[in-house]
Amino acid sequence: MHEQSLFASVPVHQHHELLQQLAGLTAMQPRHCLERRLIFKAFRKPGLAGRTGASQDLQQGDLQRLNKMLNGNLYYTQVIGSVSEQDFGSTAQIDQDTQMAGTDNAERDGSPSSSYDYERQSWRLEFRDIPEAGTRSAVTSRFMSSAALPRGDVVQAMNAWGYNFVTEYVVEGDMFVHNGIAIFLHRVLHYPDGGDSNLPRQQLPALKDMTLLEKSGSYVLQAFIIVQDGSNQETMKTASQHLFGLREQLKPAVLLEQADRLSLDTRAK
Amino acid sequence: MPITGVYFIPSNPNSSTALSTVTERLRAAFPDEDIAPIGRWALEQKLLRDTLGLLPASSTNKKPPNPRYMQFLSLSHYPTHGFIYTSEPADKPPAPNQTPTGPVNGIAPDHSPAPPMVMTTIPPASYGTLFQHFTYACQPFWSHRFTLAVPNGVVYDVGDFRVRLGDVRQTVPTARVRGTLVEIEWRGPSVVEAIPVAREDGSFGSVAGAGGIDLEADSGIDISAADIEESDIDAEYTATASLIREFWARLGMEGREAILIPGVGSEVKERLRRWKKAGSRTDIGRDDAEGEPDPWSGADVARQFMEVLRFNR
Repeated sequence: MHEQSLFASVPVHQHHELLQQLAGLTAMQPRHCLERRLIFKAFRKPGLAGRTGASQDLQQGDLQRLNKMLNGNLYYTQVIGSVSEQDFGSTAQIDQDTQMAGTDNAERDGSPSSSYDYERQSWRLEFRDIPEAGTRSAVTSRFMSSAALPRGDVVQAMNAWGYNFVTEYVVEGDMFVHNGIAIFLHRVLHYPDGGDSNLPRQQLPALKDMTLLEKSGSYVLQAFIIVQDGSNQETMKTASQHLFGLREQLKPAVLLEQADRLSLDTRAK
Repeated sequence: MPITGVYFIPSNPNSSTALSTVTERLRAAFPDEDIAPIGRWALEQKLLRDTLGLLPASSTNKKPPNPRYMQFLSLSHYPTHGFIYTSEPADKPPAPNQTPTGPVNGIAPDHSPAPPMVMTTIPPASYGTLFQHFTYACQPFWSHRFTLAVPNGVVYDVGDFRVRLGDVRQTVPTARVRGTLVEIEWRGPSVVEAIPVAREDGSFGSVAGAGGIDLEADSGIDISAADIEESDIDAEYTATASLIREFWARLGMEGREAILIPGVGSEVKERLRRWKKAGSRTDIGRDDAEGEPDPWSGADVARQFMEVLRFNR
């Protein structure tokens, strides 16, 4: 699969207005999204010193192929889970009995006091390659994959597969869909207690305690199309044409541009 | 999740497989049973190995590290999910935000026995995507070795057992015959089958009534969570394994066996733990709606298949 995107920076004072413009353009109400994003890094590849020896049972061609694979790229990848506002600032399920009064959920009378259950959290693995270089097209095009993972704790499986947990953050934003283009107006939130944990959080702090990555509070607008068959030049071209169409429509409000390729480098060094 | 055993009878690339012999022996050993196919089944396994372990050990190095595997398995009798079975990393992953300072040649200092395996189940849509991901983005540590398939398995019911037979064909990198698989599933009454599966929200519905609710379970056993201990499950697995072995012995075939292998039964025990926990705060009165199928069903038999199909070359 390939993802083609255009990006724009949206200052915070323009956010409300742009939301309304997008709602008008797409004829839909924004769909609010909150996502936990866990960053995993592929294990550092072991050095190859002293590993080149003669062998009887391995063809020279195989050896070359293996060496090429060993020197291939390693990547960061994300594991993303959708959460809701009620998941923040809640306590674990075990503490349900002691939670009765004084929590953030207190005003939600009548509804069962929600609690975030890490064991039930659904996840998906989202991989993005570094954007393709030397394309003549003025969109950011990158190889991607997205796959649902089992619920609950993903760290054990990710470790076995070759990935270490590095850190995590939260993305909040609004999603629109227009002419097959997904439009995501979002910003990144950091956890208040920093990132010193070696494991994903079992509980989430109150949403109001989350801090902004970009202190000014500005948003990123990403317009993207996912093309199933990236090798098909025709569909890739059609997708970028759609994106250019949207860029023209939004020109009075924001300027959608191709992103700097190296700023989206996902390779692990 | 029924209790099963898996046997594999290897065969030479150019000779015929043991499939017809097994079928004949099955008929001969159970003359009173009507041995007629009741259905078809299929299996596919893709095996990946750690890329570094594929390099020849050079004279300067001592023993190579234990091989690590990642196995993708799909079974037609568990169509709601695929299985991934992966060797645990031999060396503990280095702490994040810090460059690892392991041995430069990547050989772990200690040579413990083969690392334990981690079982994961994934939705069918993720099966191909994740496989592609690992072969694309993880080349320095995962290398696709081969793909095996049982394209045309046959299912028989023999008394209290269900038997699945099929020839294993290697499709990648070269097409060849590898041998014959026999899965023997116990379908008689079992305590394991009586443990209910948790629903989407983690509740157990009316079945989990910590006593009092008389529910006619399929297995004919009426129990509550308090009646079962984990030791009962172990005993059940051991007892059923001997039944399966007895069945296999009547066929008089030689084969590689996988029944009570590490990890078998762990999902059932986990289910029991959840059930016991839920028993204290039961919410009775909700309809037993069609929830999502148990994502862990079939994990035992998947482990057994992958155990016998973990070929080195």
